[in-house]
Amino acid sequence: MLSGSVGLAATAALSRPYIANAQAKTAVCWLNQGFIPQEDEAMKKVCEDYMKASGNKLDYSIMPFMAQNQKTISALTSGDVPDLVFMDAPSSILPQNAWDDKLVDVSDVVKPYESQLAESARLCSTFYNKATKSRSYYLCPIKQGATPFHVWGDLVEKAGMKISDVPKKWDDIWNFLKQTQAPLRAKGMRKIYALGLQVTTVGPNDGNNLFAHFLIANGGEGIVTPDGKLHTDDPKVREAAIKSVEFMTNLYKEGVVPPEALSWNDADDNNGYHEKLFVADFDGTLSTELAMIKDKQAFYHDMVTLAPEQKNDGTPMKTQVGTGGGYIPKGAKNVAVAKDFMKYFMQPQVMNENLKGGLGRWVPAIPQVVKDDAAFWLKSDMPCLLPYVTEAVLNPTLPVYEGFTPAWGQANAEQLWGQAHADVIKNGMKVADAVDKAFKRTEQIFAKMTFG
Amino acid sequence: MSVTQQAIAVGQGFARPRPVRRAWFSGIHGADYVWAIAFALPYAAIFFAFVVYPIAFGLWMGSDPALYDELFADPRYLTAVVNTLLYVGIGVNLKMFLAFLLSGFFMRKRWWSKALLVIFILPWATPALPAYMSIHWFLNGQWGMLNNILYTLFGIDGPVYLNEHWMGLGANISAYIWKTLPFWTIILLAGRMSVPQELYEAAEVDGATGLRRFAHITVPMLANLYLVCTLLDMVFALGDFNATYFVSGGGPAMSTEVLATLGIRYAFTVALPRLGVAAVMSALPLLIPLVILLMRKLRMSEGQL
Amino acid sequence: MSATTAVRRVGHRLHSRLHYRVRRYGVEGVCLLLGLAIVIWSLTPIYNMWLIALSLHGDIFSGDLWPSNPSLESFRVVIYEDFWYLARFWHQFGNSFYVGLMVTFLTLFIGSLASFTVGRMRLRNGWMLTNAALMTYVIPASFLAIPIYRIMQIYGLGDHLVSVIMALTTFATPYAIFIFSQYGKSIPMELDESARIDGANPWQIYFRIYLPLMSPALVAVGTYALLLAWNEYLYNFLLLSSPESMTVAVALAQFLNSDESPWNYMMATAIIYALPPIILYYGFRRHMAAGLTMGGVKG
Repeated sequence: MLSGSVGLAATAALSRPYIANAQAKTAVCWLNQGFIPQEDEAMKKVCEDYMKASGNKLDYSIMPFMAQNQKTISALTSGDVPDLVFMDAPSSILPQNAWDDKLVDVSDVVKPYESQLAESARLCSTFYNKATKSRSYYLCPIKQGATPFHVWGDLVEKAGMKISDVPKKWDDIWNFLKQTQAPLRAKGMRKIYALGLQVTTVGPNDGNNLFAHFLIANGGEGIVTPDGKLHTDDPKVREAAIKSVEFMTNLYKEGVVPPEALSWNDADDNNGYHEKLFVADFDGTLSTELAMIKDKQAFYHDMVTLAPEQKNDGTPMKTQVGTGGGYIPKGAKNVAVAKDFMKYFMQPQVMNENLKGGLGRWVPAIPQVVKDDAAFWLKSDMPCLLPYVTEAVLNPTLPVYEGFTPAWGQANAEQLWGQAHADVIKNGMKVADAVDKAFKRTEQIFAKMTFG
Repeated sequence: MSVTQQAIAVGQGFARPRPVRRAWFSGIHGADYVWAIAFALPYAAIFFAFVVYPIAFGLWMGSDPALYDELFADPRYLTAVVNTLLYVGIGVNLKMFLAFLLSGFFMRKRWWSKALLVIFILPWATPALPAYMSIHWFLNGQWGMLNNILYTLFGIDGPVYLNEHWMGLGANISAYIWKTLPFWTIILLAGRMSVPQELYEAAEVDGATGLRRFAHITVPMLANLYLVCTLLDMVFALGDFNATYFVSGGGPAMSTEVLATLGIRYAFTVALPRLGVAAVMSALPLLIPLVILLMRKLRMSEGQL
Repeated sequence: MSATTAVRRVGHRLHSRLHYRVRRYGVEGVCLLLGLAIVIWSLTPIYNMWLIALSLHGDIFSGDLWPSNPSLESFRVVIYEDFWYLARFWHQFGNSFYVGLMVTFLTLFIGSLASFTVGRMRLRNGWMLTNAALMTYVIPASFLAIPIYRIMQIYGLGDHLVSVIMALTTFATPYAIFIFSQYGKSIPMELDESARIDGANPWQIYFRIYLPLMSPALVAVGTYALLLAWNEYLYNFLLLSSPESMTVAVALAQFLNSDESPWNYMMATAIIYALPPIILYYGFRRHMAAGLTMGGVKG
């Protein structure tokens, strides 16, 4: 009977996206704690609104990100799973567990919204399942996040340069910004560096994210294709990798990057940025700016957010976005309610209200939302929002490659590119050799995952 | 005479060498047996309720041989093994040695010994996360306190400590020692306090100097406790990932990873918990002899004094 | 005795007295230096924590050796629960106490009973119990989290503080048993014997003789158990779901939610949180010396 109602609800998704159950059921939900209290409030509101609208009950817990991560993995391993897990950044858990057939297929929830979702959101929500030998939707996407440049505009001015002069091509941007170092040092800022380049192997993601964008900018975005295949044998990819590693290690060797960057952990680059230890960095989401929202001068005037514009060959650059949302572990007792809740959540207006609560740190997975509510998203008085939204929503984007195959996540976890940078910088390896070493290990990892 | 008075009287006669006789020499009879079983029950209950299944499950998690192939193929694994050996070898032994010396230091009756002891246990009492993060920031090459001190006092620009493999490893080990030294010092201090004063006084009467009293009374008395503590701490150190994770983060370039951090990464960063368990279980060939040694040490518990 | 010999003897005595004084002050000096070294060694990272806690948000990593704008703002925020991560600070503090004291009590009680029955009453095959206890440590605690999570679910203890208490007691007790066995060897068996002859039952021996003589070990192991439970966060948040049941150690982990956090609040929380175990230890420090008086009373 329930599956019948779900089917009905699916077809009437836009007009009546939820089922009013005769018997109210309770679903256990694990939600991740946000970055600011307003995010949590917005989350609670969605849950409460859903409960009112549907009559179902959500037994939700909002927990810190680390806790939720470890709890979810424990649950998936031991079999005592909640009904719904909602994460901002599930790419560490989803690919492997979808592969191992531990998640519930949510195509029936996502398909009605398919045409409205950004392509990257769709691709980020599709995973390969080894048991069914096919790809399907395992994540209900709600939010996306991108990586912009964060620049201290006041320091750029102090160096005698103008933000409006920032070039459009990727490498040129870095080359432009690195020129701020000499004049600033001459003016007495003894310890300042120009660039917070995260050439590190510590910390889960910064180094990998940075490298991926360099790769894209140099034309190597085909390193992993949506079918999960690795293309390290593609000369274009290899050349892009070599150029990227070379550029980054040269920046380090030129002394425009704090030497500590080789062992930065996740928070070190942020701390350095706040301390004005360096002028600019490339880091995920708007958390850098939003953390200083109370400092009016900094937030409204000094900090500048820039979206990458062009690859090195002049063509528009697609940046990578990660996607967050809800997924349902297999063995959940109340799959129907969980799905129903996600269906409710994915409605554009609900999605919008929720993400606005987070002050725009995450953008909607449905691009139209941003255009419909332009007052908030496009005409905000928060100067950081428009460039971010432009990058993450209005411009075409690429999904993170974790969705294509779990092997990419494993390769990232081994910090192969950070290792390559370290090899060149510390061990004096030639760039081509370092790249080949990283490729070799990546190929080994990919060889373990056989599709079909 | 009350029981306590008798106890004191017996304690007085302790210095005289006597054959050790067990309190229930001829075996436990009747009602005593019931008491003995009753005393053993609480722990037995805990063991069967909370140890058997989890350990069995944990061993099962790490039992797939394919996991070990994957493990050995990981280029970080070998480095992690070497680091773990150093971490456990130096971290534990240096620390226990210091704990031994410091326990002697704290035995001295000074008015400030007690106060010092309270300061001394602060590192142990502070939660691990913030404490290790504080050390990580302390060692930062650009704005960390250590380099600031060096610059202010001596005008030198200190190196970037965590960019070097050996300094990073040293930092991790030092941080670990910093945090856990107070704990073992207290244990050894308690052990020292159990050595009866009469022995020292008798030896002094016999003309033994401080060093000889130390070598012939203190060391033999504490030897067993010291050994047990060392072996146990090796087990604890093997599983400690907080220090490495928060101080050096495994860097630079994953050169200071230990098996525990590697295992945690596998388990929670790529959702492969079985591989994580396999990583720490690959230390079992080292761990099992330790555990067996411990068992034998504990079993040989008759007639130590 | 000639005059020269007398002079020489007096000189010798003066010399040795001087020698003795120099040696004594020398030793004192060394001890003082050592004490100073201990203070510096122990307090430096903690000073860094204070530094951060006393700084305003923008100054945290400015690299000063002394906060340029020292402010008790962070401490005020923690105490008045003025930050959303800390909104339930005092309630969680209470949880920490509850869990900490329960684990301490259970560990000491169960551990001392077990070591008493195996070590002193010589329960036959009691060594099997202590060997079995060792099995607990074969797999490090952080990796046993998943199986323990499962078994607590099986017992239906999910999301109860009891599950955390039992899990932590399980980890602390074997250690307690070992230390008690080692320490207990120094207590002469004659005491038990004479008490038996006196007509005492095992419980009385345990309670009246064994426990008092074990005070230093009890304090040491008790502090260990308390701190284990106090600062443990993995099992806390794995076994519990609701913020109501969390302890402060888990609340601290919230600061790692993102790469941006008010680290000054985190350090202030940590400092406040470290105080109770210290105070408790300070309260019990007298008992660290108890063994001396019982074991070595002069006739």
